[in-house]
Amino acid sequence: MPGAPLVDEELAGFLQSGVSVHAASRGATLVPCLVRGIGCRVSPDRRRVTILLLRPQCGPMLADFADNGHIAFVASRPSTHRTVQLKGTDAEAHAPAPGDRALVKAQHEAFVEDVSRYGYDPGLPRTLLGGDWEDVVAVTFTPTAAFVQTPGPGAGAPLEGGR
Amino acid sequence: MRALTLDAIREGLEGDFPATMATCAADGTPNCAYLSQVEYVDPAHVALSWQFFNKTRRNVLENPVACLNVVDPRTIARYRLVIRYLRTETAGPLFERMKARLAGIASHTGMTGVFRLQGSDVYRVESIERLPGPVLPPPPERRSLLAAVRACAQRIGAVADLQALLDTALACIAENFSVEHALILLRDPAGGRLYTVASRGYPDSGVGSEIPLGHGVIGVAARERTPIRIGFAQAEYAYGRAVRESALREGIALETEIPLPGLADSRSQLAVPIEAFGELLGALFVEAAEDLRFGYDDEDALVAVAGQLGTSLHVLQAAAEAEEAPAPAAAGRAPVAGPPIVVRHFRENDSVFLGGDYLIKGVAGNIFHVLVSDFLAGGRTEFSNRELRLDPRVRLPDLSDNLEARLLLLSRRLAERDAGVRIEKSGRGRFRLALSRPVEVVEVG
Repeated sequence: MPGAPLVDEELAGFLQSGVSVHAASRGATLVPCLVRGIGCRVSPDRRRVTILLLRPQCGPMLADFADNGHIAFVASRPSTHRTVQLKGTDAEAHAPAPGDRALVKAQHEAFVEDVSRYGYDPGLPRTLLGGDWEDVVAVTFTPTAAFVQTPGPGAGAPLEGGR
Repeated sequence: MRALTLDAIREGLEGDFPATMATCAADGTPNCAYLSQVEYVDPAHVALSWQFFNKTRRNVLENPVACLNVVDPRTIARYRLVIRYLRTETAGPLFERMKARLAGIASHTGMTGVFRLQGSDVYRVESIERLPGPVLPPPPERRSLLAAVRACAQRIGAVADLQALLDTALACIAENFSVEHALILLRDPAGGRLYTVASRGYPDSGVGSEIPLGHGVIGVAARERTPIRIGFAQAEYAYGRAVRESALREGIALETEIPLPGLADSRSQLAVPIEAFGELLGALFVEAAEDLRFGYDDEDALVAVAGQLGTSLHVLQAAAEAEEAPAPAAAGRAPVAGPPIVVRHFRENDSVFLGGDYLIKGVAGNIFHVLVSDFLAGGRTEFSNRELRLDPRVRLPDLSDNLEARLLLLSRRLAERDAGVRIEKSGRGRFRLALSRPVEVVEVG
């Protein structure tokens, strides 16, 4: 029987609150690839995390996941710099779920509000996250490690209690 | 389609959207990190700031290939670069440039005291890919910087006199770059410092104010002979009072009576060394009250203008020395009237006061003392640069000293004081002491 999920309730809330998300993969020769996501979903049991990506921006990433499943996922809130990194080895691409479009829309609004608070033209973050829904691909993985990544000397420390 | 070059996307390396980077450990675990700074080095290289010994750094030491994502803050154009780690620099021009810029970034993002540059990690750019996605139209160009450089070069190259050269350079920069606040400082070859000879856009000219090499934006640019550019308000490199105080604490003797001019709400600063034929002559400094006012292209343009200015400074100085002629022996006393100007001369540091008001010290103070003493002794008002250069009383610190610039500094300070005594150019390599009131000298110390 597995223990408590690595992602606690508070962290699950953070990940789905409209933060900036990225995924990294690597190929057989250990060349990494990095893509900005447009949204994030945590499964109800908090054992699976899904990042939504725009397929035309993925380059070799989806082939990398099919090849080895290694993923690094990072989520950050621009206004507070709070940043968390999750790692997994079973990343798998699939079609987005029915509710994902509405979820992404809500996350975008929250993200735009967060960065607009310090004087951004909201057109900038909207453009940053924009794209055709037909191009969206979901990548789901099981987090096996979590790290604090908030800038500072403590960055990189294993996550405890979701912070 | 031609491949994208780093030059074409470098303006996108700056601004508010942090770059992100993926690396991979030798065991095959990828890692993802936010970067506070990506610095354009040359068309084939970027440098990233190393601040903490974190996973990213461990990974690139094990496996040097990394993936970098950058977003152009103006258009949101997204780029993915594959880069390869080459080396780390912990001193020198690149390091100092990044350290200064990081101070601005840290202040802007509330990370002062957290961000501290340990080294500049230099990477070769192996590929650049533009990612598909919506973009915004680019903002209209404010001006053609090449046309601005051309206009400045033409006008600066046409001037044949030091004073006109400095004034023309500042006027050209103001008109062609829309830069309202600028300083030109020259190097004091013996003192390890720079002194202001011309300024534009400040309530007080600050002519005669000094800054030590290696302190503040201007001093670091001069010492490292590299442009230093900061895009956000910050305190670490403020070049006014704080810099002077830190220099004084280190025991550097500085002009303290004349404050260095500066914008109270300065947010963007760019200092460029002025060089000629491998020698550092001084520094050009511009600033503005808006964030990110100066980009890579502005920096390149002002480096080109500073190059033209340096060459002209060097040539004019050489020409002035070659043509220095002895002053005519005959000289008459100009008509003077009114209460005498009391010149107080402090032997200890050659500081000079006119009445109770500070004028200048050091080499320029000593020159003024010599001129007034000769006038009182024999009524002389005509002098030549050559005789001053050879006069043992003047004690120029260095053979290469720009005497012409010292005289210009003195002449501007006298004009600003407006106390009835001036020096005026009376020909190539010659000048005149012009008095409208009697003068007397009081020696102190």
